[in-house]
Amino acid sequence: MSDRIEGVKKLFTSKSARVETNKGDAYYDKLFQTCQARIEELKTQQPINNRLDIGDVLETQGIERRDFLKWASAVTGMLMLPASFTPLVADAALMMNRAPVIWLELQDCAGNSEALLRSDGPKIDEIVLDIISLEFHETLQAASGHQAEKQLEEAIEHFKDKYLLFVEGSVPLGMNGQFGTIGASGETMHDHLVRVAKHSAAVVAVGSCATFGGVPAAAPNPTGAVGVMDVIKGKPLINIPACPANPANMVGVIIHYILTGQVPELDSLLRPKFAFGYRIHDNCERRAHFDAGEYVEEWGDEGAKNNFCLYKMGCKGPMTFNNCSIVRYNEGVNWPIGVGRGCIGCSEPDFWDKYAYERPMADAKIKAPTGGVEKTVDEFGLGLLTAAGIGIGIHAAASAFAGKKEDGGEA
Amino acid sequence: MITKQLLEHIEGEASVYFDIKDDKVDFATITFPHFRGMESILKGKNALDALVITPRVCGICGHAHLMAAVRAIEDAYKNAGFEIKLTQKAQKIREFTLIMEMIQNHFKWLYMVIIPELVKLISIKLEKTPLKGAYAASLSAKAIAVFGGQWPHSSYMIPGGVTSDPTFIEIMQARSQLEELIKFFEKETLGISLDKFLTLESCKDFNGFSSDLTNLEKGLIETGMHTKGFAKDQFIVLGEHGFTNSSKLKGTRTFGINSKYVSDTDAYSPQEITYAKNALYKNEYYEAGPLGRMLSQSVPLIKNMHRRYKDSAYSRVMARVFEIGYLLEYSKILLDNFDIDEDSVVTVTDIKQISATGIGVVEAPRGPLLHKIELKNGMISQYHITTPTQFNIGSSTPQTPTPVQQAMQGLAKKDALFIFRTFDVCSVCTTH
Repeated sequence: MSDRIEGVKKLFTSKSARVETNKGDAYYDKLFQTCQARIEELKTQQPINNRLDIGDVLETQGIERRDFLKWASAVTGMLMLPASFTPLVADAALMMNRAPVIWLELQDCAGNSEALLRSDGPKIDEIVLDIISLEFHETLQAASGHQAEKQLEEAIEHFKDKYLLFVEGSVPLGMNGQFGTIGASGETMHDHLVRVAKHSAAVVAVGSCATFGGVPAAAPNPTGAVGVMDVIKGKPLINIPACPANPANMVGVIIHYILTGQVPELDSLLRPKFAFGYRIHDNCERRAHFDAGEYVEEWGDEGAKNNFCLYKMGCKGPMTFNNCSIVRYNEGVNWPIGVGRGCIGCSEPDFWDKYAYERPMADAKIKAPTGGVEKTVDEFGLGLLTAAGIGIGIHAAASAFAGKKEDGGEA
Repeated sequence: MITKQLLEHIEGEASVYFDIKDDKVDFATITFPHFRGMESILKGKNALDALVITPRVCGICGHAHLMAAVRAIEDAYKNAGFEIKLTQKAQKIREFTLIMEMIQNHFKWLYMVIIPELVKLISIKLEKTPLKGAYAASLSAKAIAVFGGQWPHSSYMIPGGVTSDPTFIEIMQARSQLEELIKFFEKETLGISLDKFLTLESCKDFNGFSSDLTNLEKGLIETGMHTKGFAKDQFIVLGEHGFTNSSKLKGTRTFGINSKYVSDTDAYSPQEITYAKNALYKNEYYEAGPLGRMLSQSVPLIKNMHRRYKDSAYSRVMARVFEIGYLLEYSKILLDNFDIDEDSVVTVTDIKQISATGIGVVEAPRGPLLHKIELKNGMISQYHITTPTQFNIGSSTPQTPTPVQQAMQGLAKKDALFIFRTFDVCSVCTTH
């Protein structure tokens, strides 16, 4: 038993399962000074195109400064910065009208734009729609047709090398890009993206389509869809996967950029560590049931009614890196696991083919992020376990035991 | 001469090619230049994978896709001899969330598309307030999230019911969001109470008060939209729900309907590649969406409106706004009649036992959405999707115009562009 306990300890203290949240005083002191200097410099600049001032908006909306600071402190926490950064984050939010953003929709379903409209925080809709300088967005802007094209050209010219380029949707390369064309000239999405990205300060790929190709890239990938990072080279690139991407993470990236002038720390798939540094499983509300070996075995069973762990129903939480278990969706109302459906792993590459929901992870023969191949839950033996496997093996065994005990109890 | 007009300010992108004669639209063809190949992606996958893949067809009505997919699978179960009987509770949860998706769409269309586009054409004061649309839509989305997990792209429906098992707390949460939404609709859009609004019987009744709605109404009259934008004056409602009657309408007369007569053809697009297909019922074009739905329910106000202004752009816009109120009232009744002691999901046979075809039909915000599935041992061998915009915004020849083509004919280009948007275009769904 003691080696099992050691195994569990090892699993949940291993590097893969957590992100470095404390980098030491020297690091933060230096960062603080850098941010402070940047904010001071931004303060001397004029807002772009007479954008609204967030201070005024908050006042007219009757939002108290205390509520605004509460929001800022939540964002500071999300960005994994010490609490002392809260006033700076609040200042950065006030400077949001100094950061031009161009948003392109490629091979998409508009789901990330929709999610953006429902972003988090007190009246953050205002922040996103009115305060950040969204210089171009096909669906949200008023201009259309040729005026819209003109607006894009002007934005590129005017904010040369300064704008953040948000991209939603994948890039179809099949049939010479003819599966997606834009504008009067019939420019392909690929050429359009390359052209607009050329003078951006950084590119932010939003949603699983833009990051890893998403649904369109699922087998047999009829249109030859790829993610933005397969096309754009030589630019700072940030991936915010998930389907849809969580708007909190989009706002987080913008604020981080305003605050530091840099892209946040990224993992090997270019995802910001503040959001993708840990697994769904690490902070799941049903985690206690996993630890207790209590699983939903069948839709609608007693386990389902009691919110037991969904691992055996195909939940991909243990191998999916994302912060939805903390941030949730739709202003924190809920998330998939909250309605008993489990995680489909939508922020991992190729999840449509590898992670498909209905296959329990154990049958999917996927490589765990920690190495090794998953087998069925009950097949696990301690000897060949991967770090992730140890816990699961133990709990599957515990579950079988608990089942027996329960049967006995009822008899 | 044929000129091309790009239309961004819709969901996705479309182009309209106008053939203008004497400053009027002689004919217009429509192209949707995007494609993803969702149907071939579904082929060869487990049937239940359709429940996570098809909601991603559309970021605006993904929930309707989920419901069409689950209904198609359940129909295949039935055709294979394993009929599934849903509990009342599961049905009500599905309907409530579907209605909330419709409402969020209508609010956004009203405040982010129709009012800003109308403002460009009128002299009377009508304020552009897109944030109102965003606010109301986010309230509806929150109500969906209570039962569905998140919006867009939820996957909580499964053959046999839903995975969520709400307690009184969730019901209360949804109810409070609904109440806030009704309050918002009364205060910001209507200017009168919802109850009173639903008792209005004639367009003349709009004269008695002042609000976004009445300003919109005045704007539509000022631009002559009550005399423009006539389409086919025939409608279809296919989805079976408690809040609508599935029927075929010629004017206000209703007839029976069967979704097996829906077919599609390639769109006519001489100038550019388009990936859209036109949808037809018994080889004819029909208009789909709220105007037909409200007529099928014999709503007095809408019937009177139709008597005065037929299927003009005016009626099309006002019916969609009216439907918000109608659906809000209906969802209140749904929430009040929840029996939480019922099961959320019933046990079903393993999908591997199922080799059959099935069809799932729902009313999405813009009209009927059809998913046809063919299963072999639980694996998808064929999948076919028909969306509402394919009915409304098909692109056909001058001899057989589609509803939108007919509605734009003979008008100035600026009017035609507004009328195009009254159909609430969705390009991402259309091309899938």
